[in-house]
Amino acid sequence: MIATKTAFTLLIALPLVAAPLIYLIGRLVYRSGKAKNNPAGWLALIVLLLTAGLWVLLYLRKKTETLVLITGQVTMAGDAVFLLMSITAIALGLMVVMFSIFYMRAEPGEEKFYALLSANIGSIIGLSATTDLFNLWVWFEAMAVTTYLLVAFYKDLPGSLESGIKYLVQSAAGSALILIGIALVVAETGTLELNLMAEMLREPNALLLAAGGLFLVGFGVKAALVPMHTWLPDAHSQAPSGISMMLSGIVIEAGLIAMLRVLGVFLQVTNLFGPLLLGFAALNMLVGNLMALRQTEVKRMLAYSSVAQVGYILLGFGTAFTLGVSDGSISAFFHLMNHALMKGLAFMAAGVLIYTLFLRNGSHATLKVTDLNGAARKYPLAALAFSIAVLALGGLPPLSGFMSKTAVFLTTFYTLNPWMIALVIFAALNAVLSLGYYAPLVNRMYRLEASEAVKNGAPMPWLMALPLILMALLIVVMGFYPMLLSDLFIPAGVNILPYAGF
Amino acid sequence: MNSIEILPVVIAAVFCLLGIGIYALLVTRNLIKVVVALQIMVKGALLALVAAGRLAGNVDLGQSMALTVIVADTIVAVVGLALAVQIRRHFGTLDLKSIATLRK
Amino acid sequence: MLSTLILLSIGIPWFGAFLLWLAGDGKPRLQHSLAVMFALGGGAAALAMIPLASSEVALVIPVGAVFGDFTFIADGLGVFLAAVAAVIGSLAVIFSVDYMHGEHQLSRYYAFVLFFIGGMVGLVLTSNLLLMFFFWEITALCSYALISFHNDDPKAVAGGMKALVITQLGGIGLLLGALLLFAHTGNYDITALLANPGILPAGMLAFMAFGALAAAAAKSAQFPFQTWLPDAMEAPTPISALIHAATMVNAGVYLLARFYPAFKDVPYWPLAVMLVGVITALMAALMALSANDLKRVLAYSTVSQLGYMVYAVGAGGIFAAQFHLFSHAIFKALLFLSAGAVIHAVGTRDMREMGGLGRQMPLTRAVFVTGALALAGLPIFNGSWSKELVLEAGLKAAEAGGTLWMYILMVITAGLTALYTFRMVAMVFYGQPRTERHVHDAGAAMKVALVPLALATLVSWLAVGPFSRLLDEHTLPYHHLEAEPTLVWLKEVLAWPTLIVLAVVAAGILAWFGREKLAGITQFLRGLNWAASNSFGFEAVNRAVVAAVGWLAEKLRAFQTGQLNWNIFGLAAALVVVLAILLAGA
Repeated sequence: MIATKTAFTLLIALPLVAAPLIYLIGRLVYRSGKAKNNPAGWLALIVLLLTAGLWVLLYLRKKTETLVLITGQVTMAGDAVFLLMSITAIALGLMVVMFSIFYMRAEPGEEKFYALLSANIGSIIGLSATTDLFNLWVWFEAMAVTTYLLVAFYKDLPGSLESGIKYLVQSAAGSALILIGIALVVAETGTLELNLMAEMLREPNALLLAAGGLFLVGFGVKAALVPMHTWLPDAHSQAPSGISMMLSGIVIEAGLIAMLRVLGVFLQVTNLFGPLLLGFAALNMLVGNLMALRQTEVKRMLAYSSVAQVGYILLGFGTAFTLGVSDGSISAFFHLMNHALMKGLAFMAAGVLIYTLFLRNGSHATLKVTDLNGAARKYPLAALAFSIAVLALGGLPPLSGFMSKTAVFLTTFYTLNPWMIALVIFAALNAVLSLGYYAPLVNRMYRLEASEAVKNGAPMPWLMALPLILMALLIVVMGFYPMLLSDLFIPAGVNILPYAGF
Repeated sequence: MNSIEILPVVIAAVFCLLGIGIYALLVTRNLIKVVVALQIMVKGALLALVAAGRLAGNVDLGQSMALTVIVADTIVAVVGLALAVQIRRHFGTLDLKSIATLRK
Repeated sequence: MLSTLILLSIGIPWFGAFLLWLAGDGKPRLQHSLAVMFALGGGAAALAMIPLASSEVALVIPVGAVFGDFTFIADGLGVFLAAVAAVIGSLAVIFSVDYMHGEHQLSRYYAFVLFFIGGMVGLVLTSNLLLMFFFWEITALCSYALISFHNDDPKAVAGGMKALVITQLGGIGLLLGALLLFAHTGNYDITALLANPGILPAGMLAFMAFGALAAAAAKSAQFPFQTWLPDAMEAPTPISALIHAATMVNAGVYLLARFYPAFKDVPYWPLAVMLVGVITALMAALMALSANDLKRVLAYSTVSQLGYMVYAVGAGGIFAAQFHLFSHAIFKALLFLSAGAVIHAVGTRDMREMGGLGRQMPLTRAVFVTGALALAGLPIFNGSWSKELVLEAGLKAAEAGGTLWMYILMVITAGLTALYTFRMVAMVFYGQPRTERHVHDAGAAMKVALVPLALATLVSWLAVGPFSRLLDEHTLPYHHLEAEPTLVWLKEVLAWPTLIVLAVVAAGILAWFGREKLAGITQFLRGLNWAASNSFGFEAVNRAVVAAVGWLAEKLRAFQTGQLNWNIFGLAAALVVVLAILLAGA
C-alpha cells in the first residue's frame, strides 16, 4: 500500500499533471488518424477513476490519521471539508466526462476540453485542501482560468465568447479585490496561515473589517451572490452542457467555501458577517426565483435557479456564522452536495436533449422551453431524469431536495431567533414560488404533441443513460434515506467553523 | 525610517490605481481597454502586497506573493486578450455594447 | 405483526407504482391488472390493521440527526383513514379499468395513483411530524401530477399548478409547526405533544396551532384557500373521487382532529376553526347552487361538507367529524364515480346538456340518487346520521360558548345542500333529454366499484358503535372519545334538534319543487348568485397575486442588462454597501 502522504499528494497532483498528458495524447493520436474517435475522453475517465480511488483510500485512512502535507511554507490539510468538496468535484467530473464523450464528440479541440476539465477538477481539489490565504487565492485563480476557457470553449459561437469575456472581467475584478484584502490582512498580522491568523485577529479594526468586506465581495463574484451574479446566467447557458454542470454543481460552491474559510477567521473581529450572509441569502433566493420565472431558455432558467439555490445554501451557512451553530453548516453542506446532484442532473438531462435535438443535427441552437414539449414520447429516460431533477430542486418529496431544504430550514428555525424565523418563512414562500417555473417544465414533457425539434431528434447514445440513471437513483434514494452521505457532510459542517471559537 | 516616509505615498498610489481601474471598468466600452483596466487594478493590488510585506516586516513574503500574482495575472490577461481577438473576429467590433446579446 | 402490516400497506402500492412505471406503456391489459392487484393488496393490508389498532408505537425506523426517528403508530384514527384511503383507492383503480380504457400513458396514471395511496396511508399512520409533512407533500405532488394528467389541456395544467401552489403555501404552516416542535423538544414526536402541550410555550403553541389550521385549510380547500378544488376537477374522474373527495382533502380534517387535544386550549383556536368551517360550508353551498358543471357542483359540495367536518372539530366533536368523514368518503366517492360513468357516457360535464339520462342509465341513476340522498341528509342514508352528529356537536358548543348563530347557519346550509342536490339530480337524470345521443350504462368494472359503495351508503351508519370503539381511549388516549353501542348513538341522534334540521332539509327539497312559485325570491337572490358564480371574488384575488408576481419578475429582468459596465457596477455597489455596513456596524 502506498503511504498516506503520497496518496494525498497524488490526489491533488494527478488531475493537474494528467491535464497536459490528456491534451498531448489526445491530440497526437487523433491527428495521426490511428483512432476513429478522440481518446481524450476515455483518458480523462481513467484519470478521474484513479483519482476517485485515491480519494477512497484517503477517506478510509482519515479515520485513523490526520492528513497534512507540508511542502516548504505551504501547508495542505485534508480535513472534512476537503473530503466533501473533492469527492463532489470528482464524482461530478466523472458524470460530466461520461456524458461528454458523446456530447463533445466531433467538436474541434475535444482534447482541450478534457484537459481543461481535468485541470479544473484538480484546482478545486487543491482549493479545498489549502489552509493558507495566498495559496487559496492561487488555487482559486487556477480554477477561474480553467473555467474561463471552458465557458468560452465554443470559440466560433458569439454567445460563448461574450459570456466568456464577461465572466473573465467580473471574476478578475473580484480576484483583484481579494488580493487587496490579502495585503490588508498581511500588513496587520504578517502571516498567511489561516489558523495563526485566527488566533491573532481578536480586536475589531477598520482595516480588518475592510479586508473582510473585500473577501466577501471578491469571492462573492464567484459564488454568484446577488448583485455580483450577473455573469452566471450568461456563462451557465452558453457553456457546453457538461461545463454548465460543473459550474453550477461545484465551481460556484467552491468559491463559496473559499469565502467561508476566510471569513471564518474574521468572526472574532466582527459578528456582522453572519447577518450579511443571511442578507445575501434572502436576496439570492428572491432575485434568482423571480428572474427564473419568465425565462424561455431551459439552461438560462436553470442558471437562475442556481442563483436561488445558492441562497438556500447561504441560509444554512449564515445561520452557522451568526450564531455559531454547526447544525447550520451541516445542513448547508448537505444541500450543497444535493445541489451538485440535482442541478448536475438537470443540466445533464437538458444537455442530452440539446445533443439529440440539435448537436446531432449539426445545430448549436439553444434549447427553448417549448422544445421540451412532448419530449417524454421519444426520450422517456431523459424526461424522467429531468423531471426528477427539477422536482427535487423545487423541494418535493420523496426526493433529496426536500430533505436538504427542510434540513436547512430546520437548522435556521432551530435558533428560534425572530429574524431567523422570518427568514425561514420567506425562504419557504420562495420555495413555493420556485415551483411556478419548475412544475410547468415537467408538464410540458408529458403527453403534449411533440415539438418539431423532438420529432426530428436523433436517438440517445447508450453512454448518456448511465450517468442519468445513477444520479436520478441517488436523488430518490436520498429522498427516502437522507443520511446516506452523512459521514461526509456532518464532519464538514463541524469543520468549517474551526476558527470561530463558538 | 524610509518606510515611514514612503508608506503614505504607496498607499495613495494603491488607491489611485484601484480607483482608476474600477472607474475605467465602469465607463470604458472597448474590450482592450477593459483588459488594461483590469491590469491597472491588479497592479494596485501588487503594490499593496509588497507594501504589506514591508509593513509586516516580512519583505520576502510580500515579494514572493507579488511575483506569483504577476504570473497568474498575466495568464488572465492573455486569456482575456485571446477572447478579445476572437470577439473582434466574430463581431467585427470590440465595443462592449454592441456585443451584448445575452440579457434578461 | 402490526409493523409488517404498516410496511405492507405503504410498500405494496409503492412497489406497484415503481413496477408500473418500469413496465412502461404499450401493454394496457397488463397495466390494468397489475394496478388492480397492487391496489387490492394495499387495501387488504390496511383492512387487516383495523382489529389490531393500538396506541403503541408500532414501527421505528431510525434515521438520526435532524430528521429524528421515523415512527409509526397504528391507532384508531390512523387505521380508519388508512383503510378508507386503501379501500376507496382500490375501488377507484377498479373503476379506472373501464374509465381509462384506451387512454395513453396509463403507467404514469396508475403509478401516481398507487403512489398516492401509499403516501396517504403513511400520512395518517406516522407519529413523526416531519415525516407527516413528507407524506403530506407526497400527496400534494400526486394530486398535482394527476390533475394535470391531461397535459395537453391547458386548463388541466393550470388546475394542477393551482392545486400545487395553494396546498404548498398552506403546507408552510405545517412545516413551521414541525420545525417549532423540533426546536423546543428536539424531536418530532406528536404523541408527546398531545400528552403534554405544555412542552411548548403558550405563544409557540398558538403559532403552531394556527399554522396547522392554515395547512389544513389549504389541504381541505377551506376558506380562504377553497379556490383550487373546483379547478382540480380537470382531473380524470376516478382521481376526483379518490383524491379530491374521499381521501386527500380529508387530510386537513385529520390534521385538526389529530392535534385537537393539544390545541383545544389555545385562545380563539377552536372558534377560528369553527368559523372557517361555517364560512366555507355556507359559501360553497351557495356556489354549488349556481354551478352548471356536474363535477364542479360535486366539488363545491365536497368543500361544503368538509366545512361541516372542520366545524365539528372546532366544536369539539372529533368523533362526529370523523364519522361524517367516513360517511362522506363513501357517498362522495359514489357520487363522483357515478358522475364519472355519466360523463364517460355523455362526453360532457355540463349539466345543461344532460337531462333524462335516467331511462338510459338505470343503474347509474339508482346509485347516484342513493349518494345524492345521503348528501342531502335524508334519514336512513349514512350522510344524515353523521350530519346530525356534527350539528349536535355544534349545538353543544353553542350552549357552552355562545356560537348559536354558527349553528343556525349550519342548519340553513343543510337546507341549501338538499336544494342543490335535488337540482343536480333533476338536471342530470330527469326531465327532457337535451341531447340526441345514444348513451350506454356503466361498464362491468364500473359496476364492481359502484355497487359496493351504494350498499355502504345505505348501511355504513349501522357501524357507528364499532366505529366509536375503534376511536376510544385504548387507541386514542388523549382524545377522550366515548365508546357507545350503536343503539345508544342512534337514540342520541333522534332528539328534537334533529327534527328541526329535517324540517329545514325538507324545506330545501320543497324549495326545489316549488321553484317556480319562489321566483320573487330568486330575483332577490340574483346578486348573491352572481357573487357565488364569481366565487365571491377569491378567484380575482388569486389572479391578482399571480399577475403581480409575474409583473415583478418581468420588471426585474431589466436589471440584467447584459452590459459589462453595469455588471461591474453591481460589484462596485455591493462593495460599497458591504463596507459601509461593516464599518458602520463596528
